[in-house]
Amino acid sequence: MSGPVLSLRGVSKRFGGVRALVDVDADVHEHEVLAVVGDNGAGKSTLAGVLAGAHRPDAGQVLLDGRPVLLDSPAVARSLGIAAVFQELALVDDLDVVENVFLGHETVRGPLLDEVAMEREAWRLLDQLAASVPEVREPVRTLSGGQRQVVAVARALLGSPRVVVLDEPTASLGVRQTAEVLNLIVRLRERGHAVVLVSHQAGDLQAVADRILVLRLGRVHDVFDGDASYEDLLAAMTGAVRPGAPHRRGQR
Amino acid sequence: MRADRVTPGSQTSLREANRARIVSAVQQRGSLTQIELAGVTGLSPATISNIVKELTVAGVLHTAQSTRNGRRALQVTLARNLGLVAGIRFGMRSLSVALADASMRILAEQRMPLAPDHRADAGLQRTAMLVREMMEAVDADPSELLAVGVGVPAPVDIRTGQVVTVGMMRGWDGVHVDEILGAELDVPVTADNDSTLAAIAEARFGAGAGHDSVAYVRVSHGVGGGLVLGGRAVHGRSGVAGEIGHVSVDEHGPVCRCGNRGCLEMLVGASSLLSMLPPEAGHLTLADLVTRAREGDAGCRRVVFDAGRHLGVALANLCNLVDPDVVVIGGKLAEAGELLLEPLRTSLGQRVVATSRGPVEVVPSTLGADAGVRGALAAALDQARMFGSLGVTS
Ligand SMILES: Nc1ncnc2c1ncn2[C@@H]1O[C@H](COP(=O)(O)OP(=O)(O)O)[C@@H](O)[C@H]1O
Ligand SMILES: [Mg+2]
Ligand SMILES: [Zn+2]
Repeated sequence: MSGPVLSLRGVSKRFGGVRALVDVDADVHEHEVLAVVGDNGAGKSTLAGVLAGAHRPDAGQVLLDGRPVLLDSPAVARSLGIAAVFQELALVDDLDVVENVFLGHETVRGPLLDEVAMEREAWRLLDQLAASVPEVREPVRTLSGGQRQVVAVARALLGSPRVVVLDEPTASLGVRQTAEVLNLIVRLRERGHAVVLVSHQAGDLQAVADRILVLRLGRVHDVFDGDASYEDLLAAMTGAVRPGAPHRRGQR
Repeated sequence: MRADRVTPGSQTSLREANRARIVSAVQQRGSLTQIELAGVTGLSPATISNIVKELTVAGVLHTAQSTRNGRRALQVTLARNLGLVAGIRFGMRSLSVALADASMRILAEQRMPLAPDHRADAGLQRTAMLVREMMEAVDADPSELLAVGVGVPAPVDIRTGQVVTVGMMRGWDGVHVDEILGAELDVPVTADNDSTLAAIAEARFGAGAGHDSVAYVRVSHGVGGGLVLGGRAVHGRSGVAGEIGHVSVDEHGPVCRCGNRGCLEMLVGASSLLSMLPPEAGHLTLADLVTRAREGDAGCRRVVFDAGRHLGVALANLCNLVDPDVVVIGGKLAEAGELLLEPLRTSLGQRVVATSRGPVEVVPSTLGADAGVRGALAAALDQARMFGSLGVTS
């Protein structure tokens, strides 16, 4: 199989006295779901932020197709085909659904996409998510937590990015919408996208992951195959050592 | 199709019994013409016509004019507003839930992937929430739910609703599925093996329709099977009947999760098939294997071909024992189509007793991934009828 699309090499990140990431290596391949799991504060969102241009690492490199890149901002990452949905969704409450989906993507939008085409594209993306968003011309302030999440995911999918980074995408969702987000992740993978899925819900990660990276106190504690057991993941997350813990697989 | 047995008795109880037979026949087949109803129940066309009229007025049945083979016919279904049923199927790696009305019209469907080691407690609770969310999404009141059918990928004692395995399916061994789900949803729940439910669905509505005896095999992450003989699903003493995945194919083979050696599942289950592929291919799923085989990848084709031959061996033993009218192959691997079926038929044909009737028909499932959930809906509707929710007492 071909090399990774996106990699981190020796990445560290501090926030004041807090070491959020310490010497992190990670690889994301096309046609792969890399799940990132860990306790609260383990550094998952920081890792997602580094991959998607929201945080500049203090040390180490981000490689795109094996070449070092400087991801100065989410917009730069976006222009390189890396899209993200962050935990704080960054929707603009007073704008409607369509405006939020296209917010900051004027390059994607181009001169030819008129309002009607934008609305149609917004519906297409939302339908893909089996979203129960009743009206795309209402301000997103009127939407439920689940509906807002879906709008944010729809925005990330605009323009079909190569790498999709999702930070806790199912956190505020009901079971139906969680199911749709997981189905969508499977479909993205099938279409060849690289997906980075961050969550503290080990069960949801296990359902779709090819590999599972466990972060603990900012460090990569372990990288498991997707079929690792819940107990092994839990033990790795909490730092407990399981006697005779089975197959561990390193980076490919 | 066989005529259902006539129960003798007084005039009123006879009429009552005839009503129940008609409702039962309509419910089990989903939709029938009056003429087909006569054939299935053995009742005269006049009796059928009278009772159908009466039950339509009573709001139990619904009739509509249709055209069959160029002739006008009266199509009979259960009335939609009798209520809803939910069908649930847990697979090894996925969950499917469907809501249907009494005429088996599907109102909502939802699938989701599951963790490899999913467990009953969390899974059943979440599924109950999903059913409630789906009811809400179709604007149905919780009181409209009549019954729930649930299939799990393990043998189930259908009298107690308990998974009977010991140490084989961590997270599901010994679980009382219908109790847990019944407490969550507050309706009658019937639990069964998912492949047995799929066999029922294929026999009633799918590739086995019109046959008395159907052998169904699901080749997916695990390997399961179900038998419908003489129109009835076979469960056996404890629910293990039909578990072809644990038929021993190679007694020196690797030890299986069931404790046996060289089970069919150890040869053709997803993890065995995927482990045969070179590691450079990266992490592949069963769906990836099928896609690549269809696209012409030689290694993937070989893996599917060999799986077909192993399946043929196990199925030949089954056919020599029960001699079904048709063998239906379902599950993810069956999506490889003839790449799987051709070697399967060849290897099966070499091992069954040759008869003047020729080899048994081996066909792909027509319900595909929906077979299990359709069977669960059918079981739920059976259950609703037994609880008197369909306007007749049976
Ligand atoms: N912008 C920030 N400023 C200060 N500290 C931060 C910031 N972002 C994250 N942190 C700290 O870095 C650590 C890792 O946080 P985070 O990556 O959000 O973890 P997780 O997503 O795994 O819960 C935590 O101790 C958190 O408090
Ligand atoms: Mg976080
Ligand atoms: Zn076995």
